[in-house]
Formats: sequence, structure tokens, C-alpha cells
Amino acid sequence: MPKLIDFKLILTNIPDLLQYLPITLGIVLLSMVVGLVLALGIALVRLHKIPVLNQIFTVLVSFVRGTPLLVQLYLSYYGVPIALRYWNYYNHTNFNINHVPAFLFVFVAFAINEAAYNSENIRGALLSVDDGEIEAAETLGMTGWQILRRITIPEALVVALPTLGNQFISLIKGTSLAFVAGVIEMTAEGQIIAGRTFRYFEVYLSLAIIYWALTVITEILIRLIEKRINRFRVAQHLVGTPAPTETPIVGAQVLASKEVRS
Amino acid sequence: MITIEHLAKKFDDHQIFSDINLEIQTGEIIGIIGPSGSGKSTLLRCLNLLETPDAGTITIDDQQIVAPHITKAQRLKFRQASTMVFQQFNLFRQKNAWENVAEGLITVKKIPKDEAKARALQELDRVGLAPYANFYPEQLSGGQKQRVAIARSLATDAKLLLLDEPTSALDLELVGEVLQTLKQVVLDHPNFTVILVSHELGFVQEVASRVLFFDDGRIQEAGTPDEVLVHPQHERTKQFLARFATQTVHN
Ligand SMILES: Nc1ncnc2c1ncn2[C@@H]1O[C@H](COP(=O)(O)OP(=O)(O)OP(=O)(O)O)[C@@H](O)[C@H]1O
Ligand SMILES: [Mg+2]
Repeated sequence: MPKLIDFKLILTNIPDLLQYLPITLGIVLLSMVVGLVLALGIALVRLHKIPVLNQIFTVLVSFVRGTPLLVQLYLSYYGVPIALRYWNYYNHTNFNINHVPAFLFVFVAFAINEAAYNSENIRGALLSVDDGEIEAAETLGMTGWQILRRITIPEALVVALPTLGNQFISLIKGTSLAFVAGVIEMTAEGQIIAGRTFRYFEVYLSLAIIYWALTVITEILIRLIEKRINRFRVAQHLVGTPAPTETPIVGAQVLASKEVRS
Repeated sequence: MITIEHLAKKFDDHQIFSDINLEIQTGEIIGIIGPSGSGKSTLLRCLNLLETPDAGTITIDDQQIVAPHITKAQRLKFRQASTMVFQQFNLFRQKNAWENVAEGLITVKKIPKDEAKARALQELDRVGLAPYANFYPEQLSGGQKQRVAIARSLATDAKLLLLDEPTSALDLELVGEVLQTLKQVVLDHPNFTVILVSHELGFVQEVASRVLFFDDGRIQEAGTPDEVLVHPQHERTKQFLARFATQTVHN
């Protein structure tokens, strides 16, 4: 029987490919963080219907959702240098376009993509937050920013997390397209290896295993986070049965006093 | 002292009230009664600036706001003069009981967390919930939730307590514990001014120093609990009270 598949190669490819894992994760984490901040901004603008920005973001979100990621990467790859040239022209600066790291094109494309997809999800989650809690925070005298940070976002996160998690996993897989903008991450390295060994199937199988493992690990992490942020939903059987405490219940004693206020 | 002058509020085209005038002395306990939709909550919410009045002035001790032009800073400061207990409790559901009480201390008063926790535990103790300090709202009964909310209000040190139907979302058997807690709060803090909107006429009669009958965006009748609840003068008050005839208003 001919040796159609080199099983050993599938395994030995993996360490070589994993050398580029930091690049993949770098793209993922940076785009995710920046994308989430942008998404929150877009969601807030759209919720508060801030004129002009609201319209711009509505179109942007529709555009990003309506075009393939691959095309967006090319747009970033060719568009960012053009934008820089305009910038140089109007501001009389002299950025060298050739010195722009390829990473930047990819990062811009992914961050905007993440922002667009997550903004809708975040907007819905923010809308779901109980007004009563926000009002309670307002009466305490908390500032808008404090309320957002301490009440609204944690509440919205509970609702948004499952969808954010799926989006995060899409992003991990989406980074395999980064090569089109000249970034060498895992998939690009896989192509280089394959070009050298002509063992395409093995390399792509190695890649598939790595991405799969990444996704599974991410899913586990997301589940842990979900568990943590849902800790307020504790077992109902605890209702009405406080843990034994050393503290005397002073309030109850005071209640016994029958003083009447004049 | 609290002075409300020419206070007006409308939602879209719906004028809730157009000229409320009221003076409340420090330490008074004002009971507001009146039919549903008459604007009682709106009035309370205006005092706390959860709603921005369209016109009028509100003065709480040395602080005055002139509606509707209120700056952000004014608003934040003015809000701290009063504290509100809501019908639906409005606890922070992701925070446990002591964290609920400590939240304002930590974020608004910038008190270190340890100190804020100690104070929160003290306030929870006052409402008889010290053993429940680590319970999340979802683990508490309605009555316990409202008592946590009361503790949260007390922790703000605001001297004006706004209570908007604090027991009307509760199962009947839980009303008593909350009323008991409120009565204790009133006894413990004779310098607090309290404005209580309630359909618990018996309770209003018991604790209030003055009762206002609110209808149609107007204070139709005001006086001692005895005057308003037992010997009402106005036809509307009589009609309203007749509907509550089943409730005990002690003669
Ligand atoms: N945010 C709002 N937008 C529009 N209308 C409102 C708003 N809040 C209250 N209203 C209306 O204002 C009127 C007065 O409401 P309010 O809640 O102050 O009455 P209430 O006296 O507290 O009644 P209840 O006894 O039912 O609590 C009602 O007709 C209500 O529908
Ligand atoms: Mg009301």
C-alpha cells in the first residue's frame, strides 16, 4: 500500500506551527479588546441616538456584517496605506508607508469587524438591564460612568457573554485569513511548510487540530467565566436559612422597645 | 427643611402636576395617599431628580435646585440629600446584601471597602438581617429584600427618606416585617424627614405627623392623620377613603 498519509508528520508539524501561536493569539486578543471597547462605544451611541455618529455607525455595522471578512482584510490592506498618504498630505507629515507593520492592517480589519458584530449584541444586552437597578444607583448619587462600570456592564455581561464567546471563537478561526495581508501566523506558516514539503493535507490537518483544541479550550474558559459571573444565581435552597452567626441581632432587640415618637 | 415651590411636571402632553407647593419641617413624617396615577410617585421622583421637573424650585436644607436647568454636578450633589426606597426594591442583583448596602459608601462617599463593609453590616443589623449579609437578592424573600433596600438607604446618611409604596409589591404576610422595620427606623432617627407614599392607611395613620391627599396632580387635602383619614372634609378624600373602607383606619 502506498503511503498516502504521513501520520507522523501531522504530529511533528504541530510544534513548528505552534511557534506562530503567539502571533495568532496576539491578533485575537488585541482585536478583541479594542473591538469590545469600540463595540461598547457604538452601542452607547446607538442607544442614546447621538446624531450623526448614530447614522455613521448604523451604516458601518451594516457594511461590516454585509461583506466577507476576506474582502474587509483586503480593504484594510490597501486602504490603510491610502489613508496614511492622505494623512501625510494634509498634515505635512512623512510616515513611511512601507514601514507600517502588516500586523496593523490585520488588526484594524479584525477590530472593526469585532466591533460591528459585538455592538449589536452589547446593545441588546444593555437594553435588557433592569432600569430599577440603574435608578437605585442614581439615587445613591453614583455618576453615569460609575453606574456603567459597576452596575450596567456587569448586568449586561451576563446576557451578552454567550454570544460574545461565539464571536470570540469566530475571531480565532478568522485569524487564519490574516496571511492575505502579509502577516505570518499559524495558517501562513502552515502554507510555507507545505510549500516546502508538498505535504499539504498533513499540514492542514495539523492546523485543524490546533484550531479545534484552541476552540475547545476557549469554550471551557468561557464556561468558567459564565459560572463566575452567574454566582449571584445561587442555589435557591439557601433561602431563609442563614449561616449560623456569632453576631447578635441587635435590630430585633431594638424592635422590642415600644417607644413612641411624639 | 424642605420647600417645594411651583413644581410642575408633564410627560409628553400629559400634565401630571403644574403647581405643587409644599413646606416640610425637619423631622416631619409626611404620608401621601391618593388614587393610582395621580402623580405621587412622580412627585417623589422629582424630589430625588430621577425625573427632572419642568419648572419650580426644590430646596432641601441649604441646597436648592431650580428646574429645569440643573447641572450634572448639582444633580449628583442634590441627590445625596435624599434617599429612596422603591416599590420593587431595586437591589443590585449581582451584589450580595452587604455589597448592596456598601455600594454607595464605596463609590459615592469613597469610603475604604473594609470600613464600608463594617458600616453595611451595622445597617443590616439594624434591620435584623445581619445573618443574611452574604445572601444575594435572589436568595431573599420580598420582605428581606426591602429591608436590605432600607439598610442601603440608611447607609447614605441622607436625612430625607423617600418611600414609594414600600410594601405594595409584597405578599401580605411579609408586609408586617417591613412596616415594623420602617417604624423602627423612624423611632431611631427622629431627625429624619420622611415622605411616605402608601396605601397602607393604617400604617400611615400610625406613623405620619401629617397626611396629604393627592389627586389630579394637586394636594387636595392636608392635615393630621386624624383630620384627613378619619374626618376628611373634601368629597374626593371621602370617596377615596370609602374605597379603602375594608382597611383599618382606627377611629
Ligand atoms: N416615564 C413616564 N412616561 C410617561 N408617563 C409616565 C411616566 N411615569 C409616569 N407616567 C404617568 O404619569 C401618571 C402619574 O404616574 P405616577 O406613577 O406618578 O402615579 P402614582 O400616583 O404613583 O400611581 P400609583 O399609585 O399607581 O403608583 C400616570 O398616568 C403614569 O402613566
Ligand atoms: Mg406610584
